[in-house]
Amino acid sequence: MSKGNRGRDRAAARRIVEQQKAAAKRRRVTIWTSVAVVAVLLIAGLIGWGVYASQSKNDAAGVVTPSVAVDDGTAFALGTGPVTIDVYEDFMCPICHQFENAAGDTIAQMVTDKKVTVRYHTVAILDDASNGTKYSTRSAGAAAAAAEGGKFKEYHDALYDNQPEENSDGLSDAKLIELGKGVGLGDDFAKAVTGKTYDAWVGKVTDTFSARGFNGTPTVVVNGKQVTGPNGSVPTADVLTKAVDAAAG
Amino acid sequence: METRQLSARMTAAWPWISTVARLGLAAVFLTAGLLKVGDLAASGRAVNAYRLFSYDTAKVIGAVQPFLEIALGLLLLIGLAVRLSAAIAALLLVIFIAGIVSAWARGLQIDCGCFSKGGDLAAGRTAQYGLEILRDVGFLILAGILLAKPRTRFSLDGLLMGER
Repeated sequence: MSKGNRGRDRAAARRIVEQQKAAAKRRRVTIWTSVAVVAVLLIAGLIGWGVYASQSKNDAAGVVTPSVAVDDGTAFALGTGPVTIDVYEDFMCPICHQFENAAGDTIAQMVTDKKVTVRYHTVAILDDASNGTKYSTRSAGAAAAAAEGGKFKEYHDALYDNQPEENSDGLSDAKLIELGKGVGLGDDFAKAVTGKTYDAWVGKVTDTFSARGFNGTPTVVVNGKQVTGPNGSVPTADVLTKAVDAAAG
Repeated sequence: METRQLSARMTAAWPWISTVARLGLAAVFLTAGLLKVGDLAASGRAVNAYRLFSYDTAKVIGAVQPFLEIALGLLLLIGLAVRLSAAIAALLLVIFIAGIVSAWARGLQIDCGCFSKGGDLAAGRTAQYGLEILRDVGFLILAGILLAKPRTRFSLDGLLMGER
């Protein structure tokens, strides 16, 4: 073999070794980066779990249940009739306002006639529609304070009469207190609104609502059966009356 | 000769195409996660609206999912194990699409909750399942590009491999 040939062979061998080294390095990097990715995702999942667990613990610890609340302390009842209507509403929800306008009087009449017991569940699912002021929770908490003061229905109606636009700041706490004064609520009410006494409880009401499989407001339930208009729309006064009559037998 | 030039040009272009796909997919997951992480209860309700899990399970999924999305977005952003990250992204997208299809098939009227708090739609609004699926398929294509051509510019992978 000539000298030149040997040099070429040696160079080729070196190249092969380098290629093998490079391939080994790529494998190593691939393995370790993959391990890192899996670890990061696992840790992220555990963080999510941890945040969730501590949040639900804190929420549960801060709950002050209004003494007048019924249905495991998640609703306010009006009337003593044999048929139960459950109404799940968010004070920020415009369709709830429409439902109140359309069927509110009918429900009130059925309460007066002792045909129904109506239970109002003040859920908060539209907290992100008030520029971060959480109007749904604040208004529902204020309604709970009003219920403690014996003026739930009056305050409930006042909130709908003064319903803010979706995606506005909502009513201020001062305005919520002013509306309370307008229906005859006093300092205890104002203190509960300012101190957000029942805001954590609203979370529990919303949780109960979801746990029952409901996802939208208003949800209207007569004797345990959800009532809707055609195509899952909100029931009219007529539809509701028929459902109550059917439930009364 | 011309085809060889073209293929050479494509070889040079792929890392750039993949880089755009990687950063795009990173933005998608970061946005989706960040929009939901502020209100985990709402995120849980969005999962619950699909009526596929018990509420307790939905709550846990809703809480964990935004954190996973953010983590995956960050991994794609820095470009670590791009092929694996892209595979996980594709898997998640397939699950999301399956969820939307099942909601559609069952006639539910919900917001997919992909980039929002989701939940049932208010009366008078119709579900946008077709568009939502189309959008997710678009994201799936980005993930597919990365699965096929995981080499990208400005990635931690490239740095670790000693590429310039």
